[in-house]
Amino acid sequence: MKLNKDSRKLSRQLFRNSFADGKLDNSKIQAVVESILATRPRHYLDILKDYHRLIRLEVEKRHAVVESAAELSAETSREVERDLKSKYGGDLTTDFRVNADLIGGLRIKIGNDVWDGSVRNRLARLSEEINHV
Amino acid sequence: MSTILQELETKIAGLKTATAKSNTGIVREVGDGVCKIEGLSDVMLNEMIEFPGSVYGLALNLEESEVGCILLGDSADVAEGNEVKTTGRLLQVPVGKALLGRVVNTLGEPIDGKGPITTDVFYPVENLAPGIIKRRGVSQPVQTGIMAIDAMIPIGRGQRELIIGDRATGKTTIAIDTMISQARLNKAGEESGAKDFRPLYCIYVGIGQKNSNIARSVATLEAAGAMKYTIIVSAPASDSATSQYLAPFAGAAMGEWFMANGMDALIVFDDLSKHAVAYRQVSLVLKRPSGREAYPGDVFYLHSRLLERSARVNEANGGGSLTALPIVETQAGDVSAYIPTNVISITDGQIYLETDLFYQGIRPAISVGLSVSRVGSAAQIKAIKQVAGKIKLDLAQFRELAAFAQFGSDLDAKTKAQLDRGARIVELFKQPQYHPIPVEQQVAVLWSMQNGYLDEVPVDRVKEYQNKLQDFLGTRKEALLAKIREKRQVDKEVEDDLKAALNDFKTTFR
Repeated sequence: MKLNKDSRKLSRQLFRNSFADGKLDNSKIQAVVESILATRPRHYLDILKDYHRLIRLEVEKRHAVVESAAELSAETSREVERDLKSKYGGDLTTDFRVNADLIGGLRIKIGNDVWDGSVRNRLARLSEEINHV
Repeated sequence: MSTILQELETKIAGLKTATAKSNTGIVREVGDGVCKIEGLSDVMLNEMIEFPGSVYGLALNLEESEVGCILLGDSADVAEGNEVKTTGRLLQVPVGKALLGRVVNTLGEPIDGKGPITTDVFYPVENLAPGIIKRRGVSQPVQTGIMAIDAMIPIGRGQRELIIGDRATGKTTIAIDTMISQARLNKAGEESGAKDFRPLYCIYVGIGQKNSNIARSVATLEAAGAMKYTIIVSAPASDSATSQYLAPFAGAAMGEWFMANGMDALIVFDDLSKHAVAYRQVSLVLKRPSGREAYPGDVFYLHSRLLERSARVNEANGGGSLTALPIVETQAGDVSAYIPTNVISITDGQIYLETDLFYQGIRPAISVGLSVSRVGSAAQIKAIKQVAGKIKLDLAQFRELAAFAQFGSDLDAKTKAQLDRGARIVELFKQPQYHPIPVEQQVAVLWSMQNGYLDEVPVDRVKEYQNKLQDFLGTRKEALLAKIREKRQVDKEVEDDLKAALNDFKTTFR
């Protein structure tokens, strides 16, 4: 996305103003969007897109995607969620998905960090190691 | 077989418990060999990034929420939305003696069809140059075998000497000649079994060259038996700009291995003008701010950090050395262009080749006035210093007088003698390509010139005299040449022998 310097600066500023107590504040975000739509500054669409991207990246930091080869039981899901919240804080949201390609095990993604304990990943690493032997 | 099984079992045992943590990102833009990645919050500068399908990239631009990355290898399968991850590794290339005699690409993979390269030592492509404490002065010579260079612009081990000139003036030829000369010296040294003999291994890095040119250089080196001591790193014009940008750094890593292990190596960067152009392309596509001639602001640092890696380290650090011969192509003889001035200021001297001299038949077309070696004279052997001490001055005076003498025919005896001497020196320094002259032969020929043996020879027969003298000394005065080689100086005994040999030769030369 091509964004000029001023627009980028403005979107960053709006993003910084969307926090309350170190966390994203829904009411502030809404106010920012409404104010942009009302005043329609130059390149306002690009500014909104960049602002949206920054909000998305921030939301992803507080969101865990837990993938498993088969559907997890309610008890296991609760246990995983509890463990993650104890490590990352109570405001972490969790999304459980089924991905048969994993063969077995779990793959958890929070923001940019991935913990991969899936059988697929272990096999891939094993194959890499064997290629080096 | 049992060791392979044991190794495999260890690997499997290591994998059993591990849950791999990685830092990931998503490809947002890809094209022209570079891509923009969103995420990768933990990535480090110059870290390798793994793409799907075992394609790797190198993180060059770290921004607030994006990473600019150059792609290594085939990027056809990389698409927007691909998930990529950090590896925690820097780009490395295989190093070691296993690479000698091979032609490899920027990543150190063989491209000569001679099978895989077996080595388990890898060096990072980007490495810090040795600091001042580790270094020592240049005091050992690199015998190029080119008489004009060895006599007037000597190169020492650990020096950076630039070869600069217009297109087709013989820049690569000087580098290839030097490599052939090293191979001959290495072979002779190995056969003699001398304990203090230090072979000089060569690395030739072809950047942005035509494939045919690199193939020709390889064929020349093979024909001269020099490939045995040489590594060729090839990043031809058909390779990506990324590959061309990294090639000299990969070559330097290979050279550093020799230096770190107490050996001597010589690296030729052919050429750094094309390297700067490749780096400019990469930088522009990565949207880095551009400066003069659209080169990025750090193009000086690009070359200075590369050439600083050539050094001679002290005994405590193995005593090895890496000598660099960077090549720069000028446009219409303009040495004041951006890249030439940069590299001139970084290196310890330059050999400037002139188109006019080349077409006058003076080959190698070295311009004596503009060529200089700032540290090499400390590395010259005493014998060469004794016979060639005044030659540069004689030649410079000759050029000045020759220009002046064009306007009048009445010259005093002294001026005429200087002109005659100069014309003979010019003839002596003409040398066909790929025929390096051993240093003892150079000493004998230059001694004969210094002592007036050439004064009676007509200028147009000086070359014939020199060739016949070299043949005569090589076949009939082997002992004298060996004496010069061993003593490395012209003492009374050598002088008497030289006098006798030259008087002997004089009677046979008609």
